[in-house]
Amino acid sequence: MRESRSGCGKATSSPAENYQLARRRTLQVVVSSLLTECGFESAEKATVESLTEMIQSYISEVGRCAKAYCEHTARITPTLSDAVVTLNEMGFNVDTLPGYAKRSQRMVITAPPVTNAPVIPKALIAGQKRTHPSHIPSHFPEFPDPHTYIKTPTFREPVSDYQVVREKAASQRRDVERALTRFMAKTGETQSLFKDDVTAFPLIAERPSSIPYLSALLPSELELQTLEETDSSEQDDQTDSENTPDDPGADKENSVLLAGGVVPSVKVSEENMIDNPYLRPVKKPKVRRKK
Amino acid sequence: MATPSGTSVSNGVYVPSGIANSDVKPVITTTPLADFLMQLEDYTPTIPDAVTGYYLNRAGFEASDPRIIRLVSLAAQKFISDIANDALQHCKMKGTASGSSRNKTKDKKYTLTMEDLSPALSEYGINVKKPHYFT
Repeated sequence: MRESRSGCGKATSSPAENYQLARRRTLQVVVSSLLTECGFESAEKATVESLTEMIQSYISEVGRCAKAYCEHTARITPTLSDAVVTLNEMGFNVDTLPGYAKRSQRMVITAPPVTNAPVIPKALIAGQKRTHPSHIPSHFPEFPDPHTYIKTPTFREPVSDYQVVREKAASQRRDVERALTRFMAKTGETQSLFKDDVTAFPLIAERPSSIPYLSALLPSELELQTLEETDSSEQDDQTDSENTPDDPGADKENSVLLAGGVVPSVKVSEENMIDNPYLRPVKKPKVRRKK
Repeated sequence: MATPSGTSVSNGVYVPSGIANSDVKPVITTTPLADFLMQLEDYTPTIPDAVTGYYLNRAGFEASDPRIIRLVSLAAQKFISDIANDALQHCKMKGTASGSSRNKTKDKKYTLTMEDLSPALSEYGINVKKPHYFT
């Protein structure tokens, strides 16, 4: 069977395309043999291509339609009846089929079976692909590589176990205390327990103060802060009471009772407030009448 | 499929007994096709089973019985050969239209061209229009 070929260039194709092309070429050979059997000596390339395309789409259509019919009757495996009904729907007279089969037995069966191995793209495979579950037929394509759909978080979940957290907090605290005392010992003055070894077990040297009992008498900073806050609020009451002709004495007594032994500081703050230029009453400039 | 007494099944046409009027169409069983399927085991169609099976699998048709694949491939073959025969008739008609040669028939070298294939396909409802060249 001669074919009038026009120049066709071969492009590089992947193994999958080669797989498809091999089958397509087999169909072309089949079409050519059928045409030879009919009596044609040669054919145009366009006609062979057309007939190949037609036979391929015919087989695909029969497959799709037969599958649809068998699924329509709540089955999954197509049977002979499905195929017969499909061929009837496509306008094919099934009764003539046995006659055709017997007739064409005269023809030489030329097309060899394709012995291509299935496609195995070996490049870029990472991990093992999942196998098909039982409800998926085996001729369906495989699952993709697992890294395409499995998500692994890049952080670890924080531990929320009480015991572990408690232990972690305790060890962190111990480490912080140790590091801080070491730092102070290394940067400040130290006293040592041992005469010969000065660096081992350094103790932070204490600074003796001139009046040791002062710290016991004076309130701590926190108490001072709260006292100052209460004093400032009472100061506002006192200034108001001075402006209004009320009993300033009673207020002063109240403030004395509340403050306790902080009377001198109250007076000091009073003087401070008056001396504070931002707290003095506003002095309006004298408006000179222009003569 | 038991045949009742009185009616003989000749070509797979089963006529129920007691039907007098001809309005009822006889039910045609698939017995001849089932027998044909048995014969298919020996006969191998021109299209290999692997190729037909590949295209059927792509369409979702997973055949449990290899004989059904052979049936489908045989149907496809017949489809194409019917079209080819029609094209051959067209070719012969064009050749001997003028009645050129009587002693010998038209030279046996028939070439299938698109001009013959297009009218053959149009009878099947397939309209092809292939341009001769691309600009």
